[in-house]
Amino acid sequence: MKRLVGAALVMFGMMATAQAGEACGKITIADMNWSSATVIAHVDQFILQHGYGCEAELIPGDTMPTTASMMEKGEPDIAPELWSNSGRDAIEQAVKDKRLRIAGNSLADGGEEGFWVPEYMVKKDPSLATIAGIMANAKLFKHPEDDTKSGFVTCPAGWNCEVSSGHLFKALKLADAGFEIVDPGSSAGLSGSIAKAYERGEGWFGYYWAPTAVLGKYKMVKVDFGSGIKFDHFTKCLTQAECENPQPSMYPPSPVHTITTEAFAAKSPAAFDYLSKRSFKNDQMNVLLAWMEENQAEGDVVMEEFLKNYETTWATWVSPEIAAKVKQALADL
Amino acid sequence: MAKESWLTQFPEMERADLTAIKKGLDGAYREFSRTYGDAIESIFDPLLYFLVWFEKLLLQTPWWLVIIVVTAIVHWAARSNKLSVGVVIAFCLIGYFGMWDNTMRTLSIITVCTLVSIAIGIPTGIVMARSDRMQSIINPILDIMQTMPAFVYLIPVVMLLGIGKIPGVIAVVIYAVPPVIRLTNLGIRLVDKEVLEAATAYGANKSQRLWDVQLPLAMPTIMAGINQTIMMALAMVVVASMIGVKGLGQPVLKSITNQYFTLGLFNGLAIVALAIIFDRVSQAYAKRTQKHLEGSH
Repeated sequence: MKRLVGAALVMFGMMATAQAGEACGKITIADMNWSSATVIAHVDQFILQHGYGCEAELIPGDTMPTTASMMEKGEPDIAPELWSNSGRDAIEQAVKDKRLRIAGNSLADGGEEGFWVPEYMVKKDPSLATIAGIMANAKLFKHPEDDTKSGFVTCPAGWNCEVSSGHLFKALKLADAGFEIVDPGSSAGLSGSIAKAYERGEGWFGYYWAPTAVLGKYKMVKVDFGSGIKFDHFTKCLTQAECENPQPSMYPPSPVHTITTEAFAAKSPAAFDYLSKRSFKNDQMNVLLAWMEENQAEGDVVMEEFLKNYETTWATWVSPEIAAKVKQALADL
Repeated sequence: MAKESWLTQFPEMERADLTAIKKGLDGAYREFSRTYGDAIESIFDPLLYFLVWFEKLLLQTPWWLVIIVVTAIVHWAARSNKLSVGVVIAFCLIGYFGMWDNTMRTLSIITVCTLVSIAIGIPTGIVMARSDRMQSIINPILDIMQTMPAFVYLIPVVMLLGIGKIPGVIAVVIYAVPPVIRLTNLGIRLVDKEVLEAATAYGANKSQRLWDVQLPLAMPTIMAGINQTIMMALAMVVVASMIGVKGLGQPVLKSITNQYFTLGLFNGLAIVALAIIFDRVSQAYAKRTQKHLEGSH
């Protein structure tokens, strides 16, 4: 018995030394279920752990559940990539109430949304890059269940983009050209339908967003509505559930934020400072995501690739001493 | 920190090799779906037409006629006034709360899934009951079908067949068919040896023994299997809606993402109501047709 207790104590001792934390203590980072967010989460984890001595743990997340839990329970501490358009009012309120703090833009250029068609279709017929060309060639975009109709693949049910793309569908009068809205059910269903069309060279027309691994891998062209961005109309009408008279407008870049809980920001100002500086350019993220897809890599592998090969980028986010610590830790990997 | 050794760290495969395997298999699957996708899709075309036709039929029939027909079927199967009244009330509530169309869509796809499952499941169960070797091959396959997370095969199926009803039916059937196979097998195996010997003594050949002795005696167990299959098909409604199957699953997904708890609860309850109707009817039907067996032992 005694020996057993002794062994247990030794094991506990080993565990304790393995995760000795310093100033910033135990924190949790939301690891969202899409590629760019998972890459950023892993980068944050590594830098916070080795540069700032945090005991950073990744926990799985998704936009809505994570924001709700951060507001109500103060956990997780960090959401590294939050597309804040969908819950903007709630987030603004929480910032006012001192529950959340916006650290900075995780994607410097913002997210890019729109209606897309595969590049190979546009190469064959350049007019397909415009909405008029698509409506004239509606027959190219087959509806999965009804041969007499054409399909427009919308955003999954319940997402905010489902509302805006539904209004745009009306505003562009796509129904008059024979289109019908096809609900893919989930983001996996949506990307699956793109992959299927692309592998067979079939027609596809629908909503998607960048930077994503899907758009890194399957070259798509954003369809021009010929309307430009009508920012006021977009935010006041197209994104609202009730929009009486929708007008066409391109999607404005959507803000993509790093958000932390107020408690974390107050407790570790140095780590918060890093998060406010940490920001990716879209083309850089696209390259990383394409590399990730190419190598079927997980977030931690891409993190290693990024930290090893893009030092000039991340070194500007931290002080030289911290950069040295991170580099030391990288060498030990 | 000490250098890694195989004593402290599990000797893992080289990352490059693992990547090669992953990429190789994915590439092969892509190649397969590119080459045979269209052909496989056209095999399922008749089923798709039937699904679309059946759904349109249910949606376009006036609501009172649907209630009358469903209640008539329920009454014919179960012969229970209480149950029939319950069905009418349940459907009226569903319609009153604005879930009629989605319920009809779900009813249509579940009916088709159940029929497909029975058509595949009972013959498979018979084959399995007749040979121990088949049983030892099929059993692990059924284990995989029941435990493999649906998303693992959902997206490959989407790449092969696109989004919509057909991949939805395939996903539901994969998950829902094992109980009917297992219980058909079990039911036939549980038929008394003496009974079979008696049948043989009366000069029954193999197919007569199957159709006139084994299957009727196994019926209660098989019906229990069908019942479980229907329940599991209904449970898969939400997962199927993740690949674009319209119905009660769609508003459930919507309410999950937006935290509309009431919307989720209402649609969830509609699924439960359908499940209870299917369950009570199939059980009552089984019991009624097995009446003559009671007291025979």
